[in-house]
Order: sequence, then structure tokens, then C-alpha cells
Amino acid sequence: MQTRVISLLVEDNPGVLTRMSGMFTMRGINISSLTVSPCEKPGLSRMTVTIEASESELEKVRKQLSNLIEVIKVVDLKEHDAIIRDLCLMKVHTKNVEARTEVMQLAESYGAKIADASLDSLILELADEPERIDRFIELMKHFGIKQLFRTGITAIARD
Amino acid sequence: MAGKKLSGAEIVVEELKKEGVEVAFGIPGGALLDFYEALQQAEEIRHILMRHEQCAAHAADGYARVSGRTGVCIATSGPGATNLITGLTNANMDSSPVVALTGQVPTSAIGSNAFQEASTFTITMPITKHNFLVTRAEDLPRVIHNAFYIANTGRKGVVLVDLPKDVQASKVEVELHPEETFPGYKPNINPNKVQTKKAAEALANAERPLILAGGGVISAGATEELRTLAETLGAGVVTTLMGKGAIPESHPLCLGMAGMHGRIYANRALNECDALLALGTRFSDRLTGWQLDQFAPDATLIQVDVDAAEINKNIPVDIPIVGDVKLALSDILKWLKKESIREGSVWLQRVKEMHSACEECIKDIHRPGSSVSDILIKELNNILDDDTIITTEVGQCQMFAAHYYMTKKPRTFISSGGLGTMGFGFPAAIGAKVAAPDKQVVDIAGDGSFLMTCHDLATCVENDIPVVVCIFDNRYLGMVRQWQELFFDKRYSHTNLGITPDFIKLGEAFGCYAERVEKPEDLKSALKNAFESGKPAVLDMIVGKEDKVLPMIPPGGGITGMIGTERCRRV
Repeated sequence: MQTRVISLLVEDNPGVLTRMSGMFTMRGINISSLTVSPCEKPGLSRMTVTIEASESELEKVRKQLSNLIEVIKVVDLKEHDAIIRDLCLMKVHTKNVEARTEVMQLAESYGAKIADASLDSLILELADEPERIDRFIELMKHFGIKQLFRTGITAIARD
Repeated sequence: MAGKKLSGAEIVVEELKKEGVEVAFGIPGGALLDFYEALQQAEEIRHILMRHEQCAAHAADGYARVSGRTGVCIATSGPGATNLITGLTNANMDSSPVVALTGQVPTSAIGSNAFQEASTFTITMPITKHNFLVTRAEDLPRVIHNAFYIANTGRKGVVLVDLPKDVQASKVEVELHPEETFPGYKPNINPNKVQTKKAAEALANAERPLILAGGGVISAGATEELRTLAETLGAGVVTTLMGKGAIPESHPLCLGMAGMHGRIYANRALNECDALLALGTRFSDRLTGWQLDQFAPDATLIQVDVDAAEINKNIPVDIPIVGDVKLALSDILKWLKKESIREGSVWLQRVKEMHSACEECIKDIHRPGSSVSDILIKELNNILDDDTIITTEVGQCQMFAAHYYMTKKPRTFISSGGLGTMGFGFPAAIGAKVAAPDKQVVDIAGDGSFLMTCHDLATCVENDIPVVVCIFDNRYLGMVRQWQELFFDKRYSHTNLGITPDFIKLGEAFGCYAERVEKPEDLKSALKNAFESGKPAVLDMIVGKEDKVLPMIPPGGGITGMIGTERCRRV
């Protein structure tokens, strides 16, 4: 089992998401992350699906996804030749000045933006590789994370 | 034809006519009133009113399998559509081209739990090749055109079009008969030349070549190419259930159906071959058995399939070829050099010897140990002509037929392969008879299966569709009983059907010809009477209560581990 990122170019119709996810459901494969958005071509969307699967499972799913009429292209994104990004928004406790300063310094070193601030918390925004976000979250846990949101992975293949 | 205002229902009917639809099997309903109004105006389309939507789907499926044309079935919203599901799943699993049209509540009511509302679009997504929920009448020409295009190209299958009531009623100005298709649908039919060359070389270099013909051979119309290749190579041919008829089973190179209830020689050939050319088959577990290391262990495996998703799915393949079977076989034949063909090989002799042993067993009707069920099927070989279309229900009757019936022509053996649907054979026979009114159509049925769809005898009588149902009457759910006998120490849990009904009275109640066949030797005259009556007919054939389909691969076993082989001559 390994983490796999699949990128799909699909027609932007109602039901496409159900059809696509159904292919994973019937195999008992869990989708750990999913992003869907419009792309450079009008009428088409791009989906980025992250799953845990073996090589042979991935191969079968990839072929069956290609068989879906509204799926135009399926690309299996290998980690080394794709740019992979995730966006994280989190609300972190900053009970005192020391905590606040420390959080702000760490945020700066990770390249996270301060999206909003209140007296006892900061909202941080970080777009980066998922592993770096994981590490940043671990750090922020020391201060106390009130809420955490991640968009899930989106990815683009290098030329 | 632009400039004219048509209702959505009229657009659908116009597009059906353009697709050459000559018959549709269906049942109207509240959500289909507009459509049925338009359908009635179309004299080109014969509508056959069924008595259950499942039968409508099976009839469309049977029609498609016999004719090669797309079958059409129609059902209303809610229960009409849900009743179609079994039939559509069945057709899709066996890659049979069917278009289903369903009524739906008005778009404004969708999602409100309206009367007779079911989310047909969502429910049918995993059981169709594609489906549409049409929300604007303007989309109908493109949708209907593509429904037929998708259903009957590439790997064939089912396409469902869900038609909300208001979409059928609304009048719009549209351009009819578009040619536009979908960017994501491009069936790969042209095989790769490098791969077909490799395949030809592997086959020419093999000492014991074997061809495994699946339903894809029949679907692609590749039966001539198959025969030529087998004769050119001196290769044996075994078939799957769906491939029955791909080559005449009387052909000296044909060893018949392989697999769990296949012929022992077919399984043996699979085990012995050193090159296996698999054509349009998905290597189902009913073919391979469960010990995959026993399946063609010494063979270079070449797989041809129009669906890339089938390659390497169940069995690892050495030479994959994605494409149409007919085109692939033509290419392989072109690559084969005359001098590369071995004549009179030891293997060829062996194949022919195995063929004769098999034929001997089937021709010898009263072989020691034969059951009444065996004998009845063997009798059918003598009574029925080569053009007769056999449909089957599912269970023992089906496997008796698959094992012993000698199919001579493609599209004359119609059976539920993938889904194994009891109740399929009779409505499929209706579709078959409509597709081929000049041919005799016989449903080989079990008493359990037939009761699941027998109400459509009314359809046969009302529409003058004289099919003959031959019931293997053992008052058991026979195949399950057989498994209980062999693997559950005869603990017959809920497989005894009791004594009802009287099938003669049942047939007569519907206005059919009906006759009881107490002894196999009476079958000939009973069938003669049935055909001569010109009516739909029910023949109640009394078989041994504990007849078993043997030999078979027991659960968990491999292709060489058949049990019940005592009656087969050793070769």
C-alpha cells in the first residue's frame, strides 16, 4: 500500500463526482483527499484524488476510470515528477504575548501567512507540500489548535 | 429539420426512428404519458407491452444478443425503473447493447420524494456503461444519439436515459440527428501491429496452441476469423459460456465450454496448452476455477479485448492486445507465415481425439450413469435444427445445456453469464423470437427459474410470440440442492419447492399449448406438438429429483480438479 495521487480531467456535469468516487467505493478504497475545480478548458474540471492503494489496484482503477464516458484523461502523478500542494488554514491559541510571538516567528519561518488575528488567537494560512504542512501542524499543536482546515492535495505534472 | 417545434417526447421518438429502432419492450406509466403518446404515432416502431419491467429489460437483452442490434426497453419512474435494474445489470455484465428509457417525475419535483420517484440516475450509475438524466429537451437529440452510439460500440453495454415528465412535454426548436459525440469516449478498436505480430509469432512457435473464445468473438462478428485461425494453426478451441457458438461445437478442433461446469477435455486442454490466445473473455472465476496456478500454467498467454480494463484484470498476460477481436484476428492471420505452420502435429491429433471422446459421450444418449436431465439435452441435439435459438434460465438447466447442447451457430445460445439471473431465459426468448421470428426459440428452464418471470406468458400470447419453454421439473432449486448434497452433507435447507404449481394448468391458463413429458422419449413428439400448435408452449419435463450436473470443479478447486468424471472416457 502506498499513497497515490491521480489527476483526472473530466466533463463538468452533475453526477461525474459520484461516478468517479463509485469506482473507488466498489473496490473498498478510501479516498483520503479530493479536490475538484474548473481548469483552463471551459466545460471541463480537474480532480485530484489521493488514495492508498497497491500498484495493481491502482492500475485497475486507473483503467476503469478511463472507461467512464465523462472522464477525458487520467494521469497517475508520481511524486518525483509532480508539484504537489495542499492549503491549510488553522486557528491557533495565543494566550499570552510569549506564545503569540513564538507562533508568529514559527509561522514566518514556515512561510505561513497570518490571515487574521484576535486577542487570543491567530488564523494562519500555509500552502505547501503536504509533508511540510504536517510538520507545521505538529509544531502548532504545542500552542493548541482550535480549528484546522485543509483543502486536500492538488497537483500538477512537471514538463 | 430545424425550425420545427417538437415536444421532448417527439424528439426522442424521432431519434429512435433515426437509430433504426424497430421494436421496444416496455410498460407505460404516469411519468411516461407524453412519451407513449408520441410513440403511438410512430408506426415504424413496434411496441411490445410486457407484464413486468424486468422482463422488458431481459427481452431487450435477448433481442440484442440474437440480432446484434441495440435492444430498447422502457419503464416508468420509481417502481418501473427499479424493476428494470436486474435486467439492466444482467445485460451490462454480459456486454449486451441495450438502451433503457425511463420516465421520471418533473424536474421541479426531483428530490422531493414525489409519487413514484426514485433516483434512477444514481441507482443505475454502477450497473450501466453510461446514463443520462436529461433536464432540458434541447439536449435530447445529442443524448439519444450518444446513448445508441455508446451502447453498441467498444465494449457493448447498457445506457439508460432518464426522462423527466416536463422534459417530455416541453416544446422546443432543435436540430435533430446530431453527429456530435463525447470527447471522453473513444473505443480502442484498432489493435497494435507490434502486439499482433508478437502474438502470431508466439502462436506459430507453440507446440500446443489453444484458443479460448469468449463472448467478444460473437459480439465482434469474428467467428469466421476464429475458425480460419484455428484451422491454420491446428489449434484447439475452447469457449466460455458466453462464447458458446463462436465455433460450431461439432468442429473437430472444438472442445466445447471450459470451466467449472465445462467439458473435462476443454479444461484439460487449458491445462496442457503452451500458448493460449484468449479472445474477448474476462477470465471469470467460473472459467478459471480458484487455483489460478492450474490455469494454463505452461502457456504464453495472449489476451485480446476491446476493453483495456480487462487486460491483466484476473490473470496476468504475456502479450496484451487492446482492440476489436475481428481486427486482431485478421492481423494475426496476416502475420502468420505459411512455413511457420506445423501440420499433423501430435497436439492436433490429441485435440481431435479429445473432441471425438466428447462427441461420443454426447451422442451416446443412454450412457451408463446418465441422468434424465442429461438425456433430455442430448435428445434436443437430435430434435432441434442448427438454427434453433436456445435461451436458458440459470442453474442446473443452464449448465446441462451449456455442457451437452451442441451449439452450431453464433447468437443461437443465449444465457445469463455474469449475473446468473434466474428468470432470464424466458423473457430473453421473447426478445429472441421478436428478433428472429422465423427461427424456433426454446427456453431451457428450471421450475424455480421459470416461476420468477412466467407471467410474461401473457405477453407471448397477446403478441403472438410462440416460444417454447422446456421446464426441467425437479421441484427443487436444483443447483443449490446439488451443492447442499455434495458440500453440505445433504442438508437441504430451503431448496425444496413443494408440489405447486401444475405447469400444464399454468400454461393453459395463459392460453398456451402445454404438455407434460414424463419420459425423455416423449420429448420429440411433445416438441413437434408445441411447434405445430403455433402458440407459445410450456413443456413440463419431469426429471430426476436428484439429478446432478457433473463433472464439476468443486468450490475452491482448480481447473484440473474436476469431480464426477467417472463417465468421461480417458484420453
